[in-house]
Amino acid sequence: MEFYAKFLQTLVQWQYQLNSFISTNIRSLNYENNLNTSLIILGVAFVYGLVHAIGPGHGKALVALYFTSNKSDYKKAFKMGYMIAIIHAFSALIFTFGIFFILKTMFRKNFNEFSEIAMQISAVMIIGVGIYLIYEAYSGRKHKEKHFKKSSKSELAVAFSAGIVPCPGVMTIVLFCVVLGQYTLGALSAIAMSIGMGLTISVAGILSIALGRKTNGLLNEKAYILEMIGGLLVLSLGIILFVI
Amino acid sequence: MKYIFTFLIFFSSVFAHPHTFIEVYPTVEVQKSKFSSIHFKWVLDEMTSTILIMELDSNANGKIDKKENDYIEKEYFSMFKPYNYYTYVKVDKKVIKFKPKNFKATIENHKLCYSFDINGEFDIKNTIFEFGDSDFYVAMVLKDEFVTIKGASVKVSGIDNDFYYGYKLEFE
Repeated sequence: MEFYAKFLQTLVQWQYQLNSFISTNIRSLNYENNLNTSLIILGVAFVYGLVHAIGPGHGKALVALYFTSNKSDYKKAFKMGYMIAIIHAFSALIFTFGIFFILKTMFRKNFNEFSEIAMQISAVMIIGVGIYLIYEAYSGRKHKEKHFKKSSKSELAVAFSAGIVPCPGVMTIVLFCVVLGQYTLGALSAIAMSIGMGLTISVAGILSIALGRKTNGLLNEKAYILEMIGGLLVLSLGIILFVI
Repeated sequence: MKYIFTFLIFFSSVFAHPHTFIEVYPTVEVQKSKFSSIHFKWVLDEMTSTILIMELDSNANGKIDKKENDYIEKEYFSMFKPYNYYTYVKVDKKVIKFKPKNFKATIENHKLCYSFDINGEFDIKNTIFEFGDSDFYVAMVLKDEFVTIKGASVKVSGIDNDFYYGYKLEFE
């Protein structure tokens, strides 16, 4: 685990520095409005999102499992990463602005409650996707072509399941900007950060497709078994997320 | 290979990653190889601080008053109890339970700070302080220059806790 520990330490250090850079610069905008600083903040928010999503979470497991169990191309993985990023950004924006403007005070406590509800909804959706994948694999085991076409329908469901839980990291940036009265910059930072996260999530999908291609060739005849295992893993992920 | 990869990300997905950063400033005094005072100061990152200050500095005077301090201690700081205040005092490898004393919240350079003391009637020789959040929602940050020590010397190093990263203080 030596390597993993070093990896985690580096990720944390980078995020700690990026987080500090963003907050100091956003605050400085309150004293002097400067387009260059705003653009730098958005660039750094993008990198922050990219690094932030490398750490555990953000639906990478779900995306990787999905692409392990479904034959796909890299383009689809890229598209999926970005669908998740868009949903992630919007859910963070809606949650933050919604809670902030409706409830104003007691934000922190309510945020925890809402976050838990969103997590449960996401878990139920992931369980649904798992069941759907198992059903697809089972019913499509003799109709490969048909199955391949049908499976693309579940992509949106996967993206929704992974993206609906708003990222507390994005919410923090948005709320920080809102508190300082930088509403537009808050919304743009959330989008920039989500684009960064989308890139990382896409890479997780692309990697699992690349690894899947190497092994799947040998097992092409029995591919539906792999697909079912993938579905079962997605289902277990949903159950674990629901329970904790 | 595919399954190792899949299982790795499957497991790691269950764990969160840091969203809040807390710098830890320990101030420790040692007399005759025993701790005579142990004080910790946490400095929360600016983003988290700003959001919390908005709510916790209820009269918005830029300071934490007595009433606000009591509220923070009761409603916020006590929430860290189940997490052992992200601080593990280990004597002979056993975790010692402690109750924080003299809690004080302050605002310094737009950052929210929590200060508290703990009692330490033990020998420094076999004592280690570890800092970290096993849920990895919070990242505790400790650097050499954050430590103030009298009467002994200290070593700061990182610890690998499998799925989260922490720091430890060893005394000599």
